[in-house]
Amino acid sequence: MSQVYFEDVEPGYELTPLIKEPTREQLDAFTTAWGTSAGRFTSDEVARSEGFTGVILPGNMSMAFLAQLLTEWAGSAGKLKRLEVDFRRSVQPGDRLNCVGLVTDTDTEDGENRVILDVYIETQKGERALQGTALVLLPNKP
Amino acid sequence: MAEMDPTDAIDFDRSVIGVDYDVGSHEVTEEQVTGFSRAIGETNPLYLDKEAAAKGPHGVLIAPPAYYTTIRLQPGPDPKVKFGTTSFNASQHCEFYEPMRVGDTVSAKEQIASVFAKTGRTGTLVFTVRRTTYSNQHGHTVMMVESSNVRRDMAQ
Repeated sequence: MSQVYFEDVEPGYELTPLIKEPTREQLDAFTTAWGTSAGRFTSDEVARSEGFTGVILPGNMSMAFLAQLLTEWAGSAGKLKRLEVDFRRSVQPGDRLNCVGLVTDTDTEDGENRVILDVYIETQKGERALQGTALVLLPNKP
Repeated sequence: MAEMDPTDAIDFDRSVIGVDYDVGSHEVTEEQVTGFSRAIGETNPLYLDKEAAAKGPHGVLIAPPAYYTTIRLQPGPDPKVKFGTTSFNASQHCEFYEPMRVGDTVSAKEQIASVFAKTGRTGTLVFTVRRTTYSNQHGHTVMMVESSNVRRDMAQ
């Protein structure tokens, strides 16, 4: 993995998007790893009774995709310091998720190279399922 | 005349606001970290490859940032909001200070930071903001999360 440096980025810089197409099997693996029994994530019947067309992904699973986008980009010498997300729409297995990060600002404060980003997940329908901001610290070019 | 705050009309336990409760501790295990990482499709060796992680900056496997969401703790304070027929996760705000490492014992304190109501186009929503602070066995705060949950009436 090549390291991105603070000098490489400026407002408008876009991260290479991370595409996720979560399957029902991955959702089941996630709820198993989590140990959750919340019905709308595991039972189509419960999800339908709550007005969905079938099981939905828990918000923390989608949030984990955004965290993955950011930590993969930041590399081993970068750090994810803050992630804020709003859950706007539900995501279902079979959806195609475009996980996007856009640099909006950069500054250096107390010797830290701070990169502020807008982050979001857009579905194949063009709807934003999650939206938020992040703060990543990047190293200087050696 | 000041507009009435819709929160005033909501029945909930105001005594829990801003009070920290210990909600127990969690041992970060290799099984849970790798299970979580695989389920979300992580490929980072720091989360998945013990040998590679041992040679990495942390000396041991670490958990991905969102791992905290799957930690089982005791139920935190309950503001007993008497409103709405359904609830969902509205937002998460995380501050990361140090990674959680496999072998760590992470303990958490939780408080209800606020409960407030907003009335908009789709009716009234009642938000509960829960603040959880996680510390490791060295007494270092590893992360802080503000999680906002919304209660509302289910659309008919």
